[in-house]
Amino acid sequence: MHHDKTILKHPLSVRIFHYLLILSFLPLAVTGVILYFKPLSESAMNLTMQIHVVCGVVLTIDAVAFFLIGFNRVVLFIKRVFYVSMNDVKWFAVLGGYPQKILLRQKVAVPPMGKYNSGQKLFGICVLIGGTVLIFSGWVLWAFPHLAPREAVAMMGTLHTFFAWVLTLFLLVHLFLGIYMFEDFKSMILHGKIPYEEAREMSPLWVEKELIPISENKS
Amino acid sequence: MEKQNYQYIENPLHVTRREFITIGGIVVAFLALPAVWIKTVTSSNNNYIKARTKGLYQDDEKSAVRVSHANKSVARYYQEFGGEPLGHLSHELLHTRYINRTKGLS
Repeated sequence: MHHDKTILKHPLSVRIFHYLLILSFLPLAVTGVILYFKPLSESAMNLTMQIHVVCGVVLTIDAVAFFLIGFNRVVLFIKRVFYVSMNDVKWFAVLGGYPQKILLRQKVAVPPMGKYNSGQKLFGICVLIGGTVLIFSGWVLWAFPHLAPREAVAMMGTLHTFFAWVLTLFLLVHLFLGIYMFEDFKSMILHGKIPYEEAREMSPLWVEKELIPISENKS
Repeated sequence: MEKQNYQYIENPLHVTRREFITIGGIVVAFLALPAVWIKTVTSSNNNYIKARTKGLYQDDEKSAVRVSHANKSVARYYQEFGGEPLGHLSHELLHTRYINRTKGLS
């Protein structure tokens, strides 16, 4: 019945936010790892730090702009990622069926999910808290270390490193599964839409409870 | 504008007004915490700077010689040995050169 029908999953504002996030966070993660292990010459390390700072500023502008312009979507995102039920425990028990599907080519029963599955919710919480801490501590470490007490600057450095590693390692999983779920990948990178049938299989609760049909000719 | 060729969107009313105010309030409160911290740190820094400034002014008031060119020892150095201020001999003896010592610290 709903064949060929599509849902607008990622509106343009979210996609622009995500494009800038890709452009800023990917270089930030790479340069961050280089800054952590210091494998390059002094001048190359300086250049790495400059790239890290520029991308950090881009990430900050992106996050603050989206927070102010799309505050309703931020609230919606927080509501979704912090809503936890027994389904999430059951989802983590089978890890969403992904290892079975990818490694063993077996399909296991997965509890019904909303727009985000439990793994995405956990990632969302890490991005929300970790991203905020990274941006704040990054600015203190780069621009205002002389204004903060020495102990506070040291604590900011530790927090910055900790959350940077959490998000960088999570990013690897996010990149893999993001591309593996190719319809969702195209949706976020290209047009924002997702086939109705795919959404009903992946996010049945979202389709059932949160979607409304729109008239065909309405622009 | 996006060309609309989709049939479903998210219900914009999925977040109720009460939920919006609650979640929004919590987020703003959490973001205000660093602001409070920054204000505390800055004001404590300012208190230190103010106390230091006050101490320096007190020292100045107590001092008989408040500027270097009124210092008799310095004046005697130039009269008897160094010649004129910024002269060749004074430059050789008193000028310091910058050396990067930060590498030794890390």
